[in-house]
Amino acid sequence: MSALPLTRQRAVETVARYGIVLVLVIMVAALTVLSPIIRGEQFFLTSRNLIQVALQAAINAIIATGMTFVITSGGIDLSVGANVALGGVTAALFMRDTGIGPIGGFFVAMAVGGLCGAFNGLLITRLDLPPFIATLGTMGMFRGMALIISDGRPVYGFGREFLQIFARQIDLPLIGAVPTQVVFALVIAVVFWWVLNRTKFGKYTIAIGGSEETTRLAGIPVNRYKMGIYILCGLLTGVAAALLLARLSSGDPTFGTFYELDAIAAAVMGGTSLSGGEGSIGGTIVGALVISLVRNGLNLFNVPSYWQDFVIGAVIVLAVMLDRWRKRQTRRV
Amino acid sequence: MADSGDLTSLLLRVEAITKNFGAVQALKGITFDVERGEVVALVGDNGAGKSTLVKIISGVYQPTSGKIILNGREVHFPNPAAAHAAGVETVYQHLALIEELDVADNVYLGRETTKYGVIGRMMGVLDRRQMRRATAAALESLHIKIPAPTMPVRMMSGGQRQAVAIGRAMTWGRQLLILDEPTAALGVEETEQVLAMIERLRDEAGMTFLVISHNMQDVYRIADKIVVLRQGRHAATLRKQETTMEEIVAYITGAK
Ligand SMILES: Nc1ncnc2c1ncn2[C@@H]1O[C@H](COP(=O)(O)OP(=O)(O)OP(=O)(O)O)[C@@H](O)[C@H]1O
Ligand SMILES: [Mg+2]
Repeated sequence: MSALPLTRQRAVETVARYGIVLVLVIMVAALTVLSPIIRGEQFFLTSRNLIQVALQAAINAIIATGMTFVITSGGIDLSVGANVALGGVTAALFMRDTGIGPIGGFFVAMAVGGLCGAFNGLLITRLDLPPFIATLGTMGMFRGMALIISDGRPVYGFGREFLQIFARQIDLPLIGAVPTQVVFALVIAVVFWWVLNRTKFGKYTIAIGGSEETTRLAGIPVNRYKMGIYILCGLLTGVAAALLLARLSSGDPTFGTFYELDAIAAAVMGGTSLSGGEGSIGGTIVGALVISLVRNGLNLFNVPSYWQDFVIGAVIVLAVMLDRWRKRQTRRV
Repeated sequence: MADSGDLTSLLLRVEAITKNFGAVQALKGITFDVERGEVVALVGDNGAGKSTLVKIISGVYQPTSGKIILNGREVHFPNPAAAHAAGVETVYQHLALIEELDVADNVYLGRETTKYGVIGRMMGVLDRRQMRRATAAALESLHIKIPAPTMPVRMMSGGQRQAVAIGRAMTWGRQLLILDEPTAALGVEETEQVLAMIERLRDEAGMTFLVISHNMQDVYRIADKIVVLRQGRHAATLRKQETTMEEIVAYITGAK
């Protein structure tokens, strides 16, 4: 096969690994330069706009962190967007109609996410369904449930306190005011970078994605770990659902549409391989920022928002093509 | 070599093992012995049942009937981990290593050392430094040369991979090492290295091997005893000193 010399292999891997950082830098530079030219004033590099970019990236980054584990293990979770809607609506209803309060609401969203993840995990491990099919089905089920329990209408009136806790700014030393959601995203990224790279759970996630059968033959309870991976993705999606609920101050059963697209795109652009066995949380975070910048840039240039999903989808296709090419270059056969 | 009747040297006895997959009878009553410190070759044509038998001994499949006796005691391996715990290690042909992990992560796959005491163990915090050090030492003591324990398996040659896989099995297998086609994917020189390693481990460390192979030259060179399967049945058990390559082939093909 077309295996390259080791030094070339290393070079290809380095580019694949850090190329996304380069993309990020170029986009920031381009938007900084272009926005005053096109809009007549510096529009991009304002703290207001940058916070907007970070807020958009934060919600996606949290979901995409869970998605990174799922994809690294050789799976996929298409149900995260619907999970966001179901978690948000359920939490809103609980807070409106019972006295569980804002913290309770947050945990309701997480619990719903975790249960959805566990349900996905059961379908995949016990019934042996391909993750793509299982989560395609649950995407419909979760979205349907969100519509059913809310009668298809947004849920309001769950209290200002929830917004005050989860949609405010935290004053950090040196950095200044940072939205809660961005702090959540950063903490989650650091913790789960550590989990993926420094713990058995992370190592087995990679091993299962590399070869599920080999991992099983090594005596590892593969199904238990796969359950854990889907539950983790669900729990993080639940966190994202709560934060989105606070940001938009209503629980809408139509929220989260296409979030699976953004999460998968962030992971894949960041170097997580759709064929499993390789994942990078750092790459995923940068990927989430790039996606947010793409949307922001298209907004700045007044491109109709319909184009945004088109572009993000095209970016996924491109990233997967690059991943395939890299594998062909570096794999010895 | 000791006589097959000598109980103290008997490590493994496979007794009247059968295995059905639905209507397919893959194994129809297999019996043979493996003595401590010998290399037993398991040969037979495609579909003879070699892999199925090995998977039963290593806890992947359960036999439909029959017994496995290890060290004089009947054992049941409900899963691979149970076989590992009893000191039986298997190197599967295509399923030996995880390409995406490095050498030390592979050697310690499923047997990780953790750090930070009890909390670290509960959270599964990997002590990679310790595992790398131990891997380097273990492979060196087996005279297995690899560039570094941090080398990803993906970047290694076929011979290096096989050496690491056998080294991993050696590190953990106190009783029996089962190798499924250990030289099938290797070139001439790499095959020689692996065969020499098996011989050395038998002669110097007294390790016991059960080796599946299609290559009669390899079999004839390293095996002390050859077990021939044919269409799920036990066709013959031959001592190398008392047989010829022609005879082995005759049993495999059914000419004898
Ligand atoms: N999981 C299974 N389900 C059904 N039939 C099986 C299964 N595994 C093996 N068999 C059948 O059992 C028989 C023995 O297969 P096995 O793989 O053990 O042969 P083998 O001696 O290892 O052959 P080869 O040299 O080709 O590897 C074959 O007829 C095969 O089709
Ligand atoms: Mg076989």
